[in-house]
Amino acid sequence: MESEGAVVAVTKRNTLSASSLEMPIKRVGAITLAALALPGVMTTVTHAENPPEEGIVTLRYQAYKDSQPGLDRIKVNAPSLYLSAPVAGVWSIEASVVQDNISGATPRWHTNISGASQMADRRLAGDVKVTRYFDRAAVGLRVAHSDENDYRSKAFAIDGRFSSTDNNTTWMGGIGITRDVINPVNELVIDERKNTSEFLLGVTQALSKNDLAQLVLTHTRGRGYYSDPYKLADERPRQRNQSIALARWNHFIEGNDTTLRGSYRYYRDTFGVRAHTAQLEWVVPVSERFIVTPTARYYTQRAASFYFDPIYDPIVGEPFPVGNPKFYSADPRLSSYGAITLGGKFEWRINRQWSVDAKYEAYEQRSAWRLGGSGSFGLAPFRAQFVQLGVSWRF
Amino acid sequence: MSVSKAPLDFAFAFSAMACPCEIRIGGLPLEGARHAADIAINEVRRIERKYSRYLSDSTIGVINATAIDAPVRVDSETAHLLDFAAKLFVSSDGLFDCTSGLLRRAWDFRAAQLPSAEIIEQLLPRVGWQHVQWDGASFAFTRAGMELDLGGFGKEYAVDRATTLLESYGVAHALVNLGGDVRALGAQIDGAPWDIGIRDPRAPEGSDALCFASLPLARGALATSGNYERFIEVDGVRYCHILNPKTGWPVNHWHSVSVLAPACVLAGALSTIAMLKGEHATQFLEEEGVAFLLCDARGTVTQRSVYAVTVKSIR
Repeated sequence: MESEGAVVAVTKRNTLSASSLEMPIKRVGAITLAALALPGVMTTVTHAENPPEEGIVTLRYQAYKDSQPGLDRIKVNAPSLYLSAPVAGVWSIEASVVQDNISGATPRWHTNISGASQMADRRLAGDVKVTRYFDRAAVGLRVAHSDENDYRSKAFAIDGRFSSTDNNTTWMGGIGITRDVINPVNELVIDERKNTSEFLLGVTQALSKNDLAQLVLTHTRGRGYYSDPYKLADERPRQRNQSIALARWNHFIEGNDTTLRGSYRYYRDTFGVRAHTAQLEWVVPVSERFIVTPTARYYTQRAASFYFDPIYDPIVGEPFPVGNPKFYSADPRLSSYGAITLGGKFEWRINRQWSVDAKYEAYEQRSAWRLGGSGSFGLAPFRAQFVQLGVSWRF
Repeated sequence: MSVSKAPLDFAFAFSAMACPCEIRIGGLPLEGARHAADIAINEVRRIERKYSRYLSDSTIGVINATAIDAPVRVDSETAHLLDFAAKLFVSSDGLFDCTSGLLRRAWDFRAAQLPSAEIIEQLLPRVGWQHVQWDGASFAFTRAGMELDLGGFGKEYAVDRATTLLESYGVAHALVNLGGDVRALGAQIDGAPWDIGIRDPRAPEGSDALCFASLPLARGALATSGNYERFIEVDGVRYCHILNPKTGWPVNHWHSVSVLAPACVLAGALSTIAMLKGEHATQFLEEEGVAFLLCDARGTVTQRSVYAVTVKSIR
């Protein structure tokens, strides 16, 4: 499944901002509150792009486990640290470090494979982003680095945002490049490269007081080594261009102060994959300090043009493409399938400084769940669970 | 726009919303002050244009012309203001009503003549925020012949927006005055607060010098509603332009109500509601937690203030 990438979170209204936790000492009348909430009446609401006023440190622990019928597969444990701090009023610095510890069996995607080799891997990744804020604009620079024993990645990105004078419209744009070096442990290839360039354009529009819509178009051009060195019979094109259109809509429901966040994402690439994702989140502030967010997501994709069904032949043995195609892969991530994710997030704002959150998602992928088709043949259902625990401290 | 050199600041006088207006800016050289004033004045004119009830292509003009046929979808700024109007209607028990402008057709303050009961009876069914549909995005009248008018707080809103723009431009010493609705952004350049006079409600027209109170203002807003702005006198009784939307008749308990509040749109709305509340004004303003100065029909002054208000004289 394609990753969601670093998309900007859209919140129409921070249903529980830090300030709302501070109860006014003096009783303030209803009209007073309504008047001070008018846009542009008090200074604090005029700036479209506000530099963060406080720093935040978040410690997270993420655990991921996937499985197929009768077999536990990969487990990932990933502690991460995130820091964001305002600098001199108009700058902010964000940094994060994550370490993934992966262990378990390599993907046994196929229904009737006989064994699964064990693997263990460790990835260390980090990034730093510096943002400069202007009155109604912000410009950010980001450098990222990721290191595994067989895969090293460096990334560099610049992005900008600009808001209209009434703050109802925000435009954004960005360019990023990634340089990867691949050295598989089996030495199938040595010092292989993959270079990608990413272009992003987006607009966020306030449709009404309670509705915010966003459209983001991303185009990525990639050249280099896309094959999987650990898979038998895997030969992919050395060029992959990807296009993504993401539409989001946030709706604040005034009657009960909850927010609905809906999104639709269309993905296509030159491998021939076409995918649609629909997601719905419901942000429910149960009380001043507790927020519960149930989530549902549906994903469906068409297989890559060079994907072949993994059929085990009693004579030939392991699956192999029919005929003599130039490109071929039986990677189930390139197959045709549908997937459903159900989950939820729980956040507890203990006080102005401290908050904790817990998130759980259950993912299931099946060929038969593909929209408008039967999906690829011979793939076992695939399940994954994702748990995240976090503690944040504001300063 | 005329400019006069004052010892501590530059004063930019202009006319907007049918009122004499002035923006005073200190702490900047003339060119900088002029540039900042231009930004603020442009904002005032933008709001005047957008919410004018006289222009058929203004936001209000379009609503008044078409919101009876189909709901009119409004932009975000207008949505905020309509929300505020709805809040004012509810919080004032229906006294502050942005559809009551229609009653002006009955009251001609240039002719010293009372309207007939019939014409008021004809207009009243078309007055009332309870007869509008406002869902946060679209606005519609449910009765033909109704009118929306945000003039009840439009000028005060312009004061706030202009002040906010000055602040974002870096101005630290300014006073925005649109026809007597005032907001201070920081003290004067020498650290002294601005001295704001409150006009004696019973001083004759044209005698601006007659203030019955003055108060220092370094930050925040002051708005005054009075029965002296536009009125007629018939048989010795003063009928002012502040009309009760339920009866169609003017209020007469207070001569003037001045409210000090963080924002001008708040001070203005509260002072108008206080005029309409009559004898219950004191309790209402205390509940809203603002400072105020009331002058009743006999000239008695009531005040609750965090400021040192100097009451100079009462005629």
